[in-house]
Amino acid sequence: MASSTEPRHEEEKEEEATETTAAEDEDTGAQVAPIVKLQQVAISTGEENEDVLLDLKAKLYRFDREGNLWKERGVGTVKLLKHKESSKVRLVMRQSKTLKICANHLVLPSISMQEHAGNDKSCVWHATDFADGELKEELFCIRFPSVEIMASTGAFRNDTQKGALKLDRPLSINSKPKSSHSSSFSSPSSSCKSKPSVRHNSIGSLLGVPAKDDASGLSL
Amino acid sequence: MALPNQQTVDYPSFKLVIVGDGGTGKTTFVKRHLTGEFEKKYEPTIGVEVHPLDFFTNCGKIRFYCWDTAGQEKFGGLRDGYYIHGQCAIIMFDVTARLTYKNVPTWHRDLCRVCENIPIVLCGNKVDVKNRQVKAKQVTFHRKKNLQYYEISAKSNYNFEKPFLYLARKLAGDPNLHFVESPALAPPEVQIDIAAQQLHEAELIAAAAQPLPDDDDDAFD
Repeated sequence: MASSTEPRHEEEKEEEATETTAAEDEDTGAQVAPIVKLQQVAISTGEENEDVLLDLKAKLYRFDREGNLWKERGVGTVKLLKHKESSKVRLVMRQSKTLKICANHLVLPSISMQEHAGNDKSCVWHATDFADGELKEELFCIRFPSVEIMASTGAFRNDTQKGALKLDRPLSINSKPKSSHSSSFSSPSSSCKSKPSVRHNSIGSLLGVPAKDDASGLSL
Repeated sequence: MALPNQQTVDYPSFKLVIVGDGGTGKTTFVKRHLTGEFEKKYEPTIGVEVHPLDFFTNCGKIRFYCWDTAGQEKFGGLRDGYYIHGQCAIIMFDVTARLTYKNVPTWHRDLCRVCENIPIVLCGNKVDVKNRQVKAKQVTFHRKKNLQYYEISAKSNYNFEKPFLYLARKLAGDPNLHFVESPALAPPEVQIDIAAQQLHEAELIAAAAQPLPDDDDDAFD
């Protein structure tokens, strides 16, 4: 009967690989008259007055409360940006290719992050997000390409007391993240209270700074 | 062009008509651009759904009003009535379903009866699927009719920006037009009270237990 399973697709695969690249980006469209005249404009990223603390490729999801499921929000680059004057830190993520914003929110000490239960390359948090130009309560989940990259972010992991980022620190979903101040983005340790110019050895401690320095902006 | 129930904007906007057989991925493609999500579930579009979709370019912000039309005949609604004043179009087929490519000439004919000389992109969707029925080599219709062709995947985002970029360039007559970073405005301060925060944390724990939709693809290109 089914004595041999033919490797049927293999030849097809090879064919496809060579084909797809052939017609790429060749303009075969008709000449049509343009209907608008557009002028070059000055481009602003809105990030000009900020320092980049972190810049990584990632995939972002948002939680659909109605459907009780995670939905993709974008694949692209996530950045942590620290304002040069106010020292406020925010998270901005842009979709690759279209460069549209898929997340844009302040990193507050109240934000607590935890690992996703089924995926150790991912973590979840709540934020009041401004990506669409209006404030929305969102639950986000971000996934990095590898556990190593996830660990390297530090900021996306649990809190670090001295700024030393530890991968081996277990993150339990079941244990209630009681004091939200002791987790994630911000460090509760007053020892990392410092001026922006001070050298930091971790993102975790960096992120602790604006919360302390800029109390006015972070009224809780 | 002013549309009912659509706010007008002070930057250039274009009516984009999206046609093609049912199940080829028109709505999924539009949704992907609107929210980032990838909808696996098939729910046929009834009549038409119009969605504004903005892009930031080196020549400023532009908007496509995407007229996502029903592919299934029985839900067709006004059919080519939706094409009136269309300024650009996408014809979608599914590379895993030969019939959807065979029907492209019909969609094209109907479209061109209403809209003359508009830029049109032919899109072969679902190229992420291993067993294609329509190979790239077999796609020739665009050459006969002077359309632009892109192989796309709404699932993997392969070339997903190309149709819009092509149309924008044609509509503006500027081959150098490109997408740029949209300004990331400073998020306003928010007050968080303890009760709300506790609610968020509870929500978060429940959400963290829900699986992610796709755990398999780790290449973020």
